[in-house]
Amino acid sequence: MNSTTTSVEQVNIWSKFVSFLSKIGFSPLGLVLLIVLALLPNFYPFSQEYIVRWLIMGAFLAAQSVAFDFTAGYINIVNFGFAALLGLGAYTSGIFANTTPFLLYAPGLNPWFTIWLGAIMAGLVGFVLGILTLRLRGIFAAVMAWFVGIALMGLVNNLTDLTRGPLGMNPVKFIETPDNLPYFYIVLAMMVFIYVVLKLVVGSNIGLAFKAIGQNPDAARASGINPTKYLVFNFTLSAFFAGLLGGFYAHFFGSLTPSTLMHTSKTVEVLAIAYIGGRGSLWGGITVAFPFVFFIEFLRSNLSSLPGLHLVIYGVLMVVIMIYYPSGFSGFYFWAVAKVKSLFKKK
Amino acid sequence: MTTESSAAPITTVNFLTRIKDNLPVVVVSFFSIVLFILVGFKGGAPQLLNVLVTGGMWALLATGLALVFGVMNIPHFAHGESFMVGAYVAYFVFNPLNKIFLSTGSKFLIYSGPILAIIAAGLAGCVLGIIIEKIIFAPLRHRTKEGWVMNAFLLTVGLSFILVNGTTLTLGPNFRGIPRYYDVKSLEILGAYIAVDRIVATSIALVTIGLLWFFLRQTKTGRAIRAVSQDETGAQLVGINLDFIQTLTFSLATGTAAISGASLLFMFQAYPTVGLTPLYFAWYVVMLVGLGNIAGAIVGGFIVALLQSATQLFIGLSWQSVVPTAIMILVLILAPSGIFGSEVKGVQEQ
Repeated sequence: MNSTTTSVEQVNIWSKFVSFLSKIGFSPLGLVLLIVLALLPNFYPFSQEYIVRWLIMGAFLAAQSVAFDFTAGYINIVNFGFAALLGLGAYTSGIFANTTPFLLYAPGLNPWFTIWLGAIMAGLVGFVLGILTLRLRGIFAAVMAWFVGIALMGLVNNLTDLTRGPLGMNPVKFIETPDNLPYFYIVLAMMVFIYVVLKLVVGSNIGLAFKAIGQNPDAARASGINPTKYLVFNFTLSAFFAGLLGGFYAHFFGSLTPSTLMHTSKTVEVLAIAYIGGRGSLWGGITVAFPFVFFIEFLRSNLSSLPGLHLVIYGVLMVVIMIYYPSGFSGFYFWAVAKVKSLFKKK
Repeated sequence: MTTESSAAPITTVNFLTRIKDNLPVVVVSFFSIVLFILVGFKGGAPQLLNVLVTGGMWALLATGLALVFGVMNIPHFAHGESFMVGAYVAYFVFNPLNKIFLSTGSKFLIYSGPILAIIAAGLAGCVLGIIIEKIIFAPLRHRTKEGWVMNAFLLTVGLSFILVNGTTLTLGPNFRGIPRYYDVKSLEILGAYIAVDRIVATSIALVTIGLLWFFLRQTKTGRAIRAVSQDETGAQLVGINLDFIQTLTFSLATGTAAISGASLLFMFQAYPTVGLTPLYFAWYVVMLVGLGNIAGAIVGGFIVALLQSATQLFIGLSWQSVVPTAIMILVLILAPSGIFGSEVKGVQEQ
């Protein structure tokens, strides 16, 4: 008698826990995977410095794909200037934290503070971009974002007093340590933070409005949704997080050049991950990014005689998935879960 | 003709409403004329000839872009890579050919070498276009038409990625260029010296545009292409083979881009990402005149070249990408469907 009540209570606690998890966008499986990921660099084959670096790259790419998918997967506008916004955040943060005296400004603020300045700067530009793309749809919005990205990159290239232009600048690092492990936890925390915040937004009424606008802006307007408000909000938030990630990039790598950071091809890399992971899921990109980075870095380090092979694979995978399996990895996951469930029901 | 003009005499009021109706065109033409005069004063004849040369090339590239969008509704992001392929083919055909021809010593053969290389590049581009269309777009088209414009755009993005990095993989990232096609003295036109290569490139651009125009206007297949761009279902009803027309269109666009890449080899050396700058400018042109507007693209090419030239002269070479981009952003805000507008199906759809 007593044991059954405790088991019922346990079940209650468990289901409450699960529902809480699903609110912030995790399934129990996802949480377990995240914990495994967080502990991974403490065990041997993964504790080598270069693999920790791969993990950092993976988390960085995963977080970018979440912020990107927030726009592309929900309101159905491909932000083609995403990398430029990220670069804007990186440069803003780098400039405010700059201590090099020969540049125009050398305030030398703490990088932990300046990454937020970078994020706010990118968010402001995202806000403007949202207003600019208001009247545009589909391809026009993408081209607009693309042009704004080109213009931003051109500006960074030309304002040499601030950014040293194509020579690149070297922002200070977060922590003076040769270890990569602290950086892994920083970027992992950022990734989880961005994911949870965006998932909460998407799970609320705002997310419904996003989906309505993404499917048919006119119908959304007719049913009382103000597209202006939601579009601008979406762009601002996505750009804000892009800027934040840019700040991480600046103070982790300690080197910024416009062409390695803000180029359109960087946006395409994020886009490929987000699409292979599955549009409109947010988590799809995360699950795909880690194996992908490992695979690609493995190719790059073992087949260094073939430059660009990993990027060709990127492109081919993206094209094949777009043509033959447009729902991506998350679509495959839901399909598999439904299949397994139906198997168990039959028995 | 006479009765028509007498029926609507040009009064002041009439004139004003006409200006009002075509405000974007009027504003852009006004600024173009002002820029033309300014560039002419500052740079003189060489600068104006330069505008003509680059303008012809942007026009040729933009025509292909407009054609692909008009007929197939594909916003083509990999157009610059067709340019790149053309440059590579021309390089690999021209060099051995030139060696053989030089050894024969025949002037006719030496002079026809570049032309042969450019034609070879054009043919290679056409073949590449057919392959791409059959492998990438035909499967997607037969699969789903939902969200076509955006999906096709992202596919071309992936395609551009594959082509650029595939080239790096096979040919390496080195630059391959030639100093000049024609090893002869520059010609003197209006007191300015201009290289023969530039004149040849411009003439090739203009001739190609002319041929394309003639093909689209006067031949049966060309009319079929235009019919498809106006109404796909209607074209199918009257017995036009849609698959054939679309493959042909894509192949033509890729071929013309390859021709421009080949004929500009002396300016743009062949390397994997060479197509990016031409792609930007071709996109500026189609955005300026309206996506899918072929006739507009020809005019727009020269306007954008003028703008580029003016930026170079008055602000500085490194601002060449920033100022035109800023102006195109303005155009997108004020006249999203371009100054001439586009009456292409699917422009406003998702």
